[in-house]
Amino acid sequence: MNTEVEDSDDNPFGYALHVWRLFNAAPRAGEFIAETPGVVSGQAGTPAARSVLRLQLQFAHGVVADARFRAYGCPTSIAVGAWIAEWAQGKAAEELAALTAKRLRSELEIPDDRAHCALLGEDALRAALAHLKQEKT
Amino acid sequence: MIYLDYAATTPLDERAFEAMLPYLRPDGLHGNPASTHGPGFKARAAVERARAQVAALIGAEVPEIIWTSGATESNNLALKGALEFRGLPKAGRAVHVVTSRTEHKCVLDTCRQLETLGVGVTYLKPDRLGFVSPQQVMAAITPDTVLVSLMWVNNEIGVVQDIERLAPLLRERGILFHVDAAQAAGKLSINLETTPVDLLSLSAHKLYGPKGVGALFVRRKPRARLAPQMHGGGHEQGMRSGTLATHQIVGMGAAFDIAVGDFERDVTHFAGLRDALWARLRNLPGVHRNGPDGSAGQAAAPHLLNLSFEGVEGEALRASLPEIAVSSGSACSSATAEPSYVLRSLGRDDELANASLRFSFGRRTTMADIETVAGKIIRQVQWLRGLSPLWKP
Repeated sequence: MNTEVEDSDDNPFGYALHVWRLFNAAPRAGEFIAETPGVVSGQAGTPAARSVLRLQLQFAHGVVADARFRAYGCPTSIAVGAWIAEWAQGKAAEELAALTAKRLRSELEIPDDRAHCALLGEDALRAALAHLKQEKT
Repeated sequence: MIYLDYAATTPLDERAFEAMLPYLRPDGLHGNPASTHGPGFKARAAVERARAQVAALIGAEVPEIIWTSGATESNNLALKGALEFRGLPKAGRAVHVVTSRTEHKCVLDTCRQLETLGVGVTYLKPDRLGFVSPQQVMAAITPDTVLVSLMWVNNEIGVVQDIERLAPLLRERGILFHVDAAQAAGKLSINLETTPVDLLSLSAHKLYGPKGVGALFVRRKPRARLAPQMHGGGHEQGMRSGTLATHQIVGMGAAFDIAVGDFERDVTHFAGLRDALWARLRNLPGVHRNGPDGSAGQAAAPHLLNLSFEGVEGEALRASLPEIAVSSGSACSSATAEPSYVLRSLGRDDELANASLRFSFGRRTTMADIETVAGKIIRQVQWLRGLSPLWKP
């Protein structure tokens, strides 16, 4: 537990500091212009579950050159999207495939009752990688 | 921080605070109101003065006010006490209570508890604005109905039920009528001299009094009788035992006295703030007002505004507004938890019920606050919609 977060007036809801910062800054939010070369997308979640995450990865020379995300959901799911988009930079498909919900939970200090947000991130990334595989075959 | 959650609780009025102090000081008026000596008599006099102050706000007689720990206890005492006094439920005799789906949890949970004892309960479904009509209530009455419980003002959406029209109908049928008025006191004109309600629950901290004290109005003519739920020294005419919390009671009395004096000004102020915020936010696309708007035929409490925002998730919306203290309809601890049952009862889908904010206004709220809040909400809703892969402007 990060006491700095609990004591901060700016984060009265007690989110983990990393989640709180990513939610507020939402780096790499958005999407690539249609037909941008090398872009694959993956989406997970449903509106009914009030969480949908779309990831876009732009590959160049076998690695992610840039990434974007859009998210509808709680602050943790938005933070998961932002974190993956940032983390994916420079990584090859094999490295991306190794990302698990467990790792996301550890990186972002996601508690048990938000475990579904980490699964959302893993699922969206897997969906994008599945599209990459389809394009290659 | 801008506080717009006065329906959850209000700060203690400075004058109520001052009135309480003599009863809290170590060298102050510490006597037990039940004691028969000087300090006891002084405390007793303060308690009775407060009783008269509370009675005055609702047009009750002074002995009709029974002190409790708050509206939750008042509601429990009214429902359980009324049924138990009548010896109900009894083996071989059906007992029926009518209430609505949008009551406060303390009424709904009490009804559920009564159901486990064999009481039949009808939970009426309100219309899309939250109204439960007197006709609807009367249609639900059966020969076994002994009690109807409805809230005067709903705490989430501010809908005002037509208690004044319903009460005489129930009186004619000899059915006890309990009203939870925790959100109504000080916001609506209440006159129990002319409105034949039998039992009415009040809370101090919703009206600038201290937390931890409330009252139950128990009509004397005709007498509404209750079996006590707290047994002990026979305080409060035997209906609620326990040493009276003199300082809390004095605070509640002072707060209700202030509410009598400031009533017109309060109501005008609250309604002005409510209407101003709605006028600003209704320009945002995809905003839905939950509950009535206060126009003719849409009776609404002056201090509440409940809105749902399309295309944003409720918890993210609340989290994006850390400088505003406001209630959210989102169920934020788990993906599977239900959003507001009140909004769901009106027919709102889960997404809109979740993406709702309840604004409630108080004496300290200013038009400048409303302007600031409106601007922040418009910006944050637009920002969250911009993040969403689903939002189509």
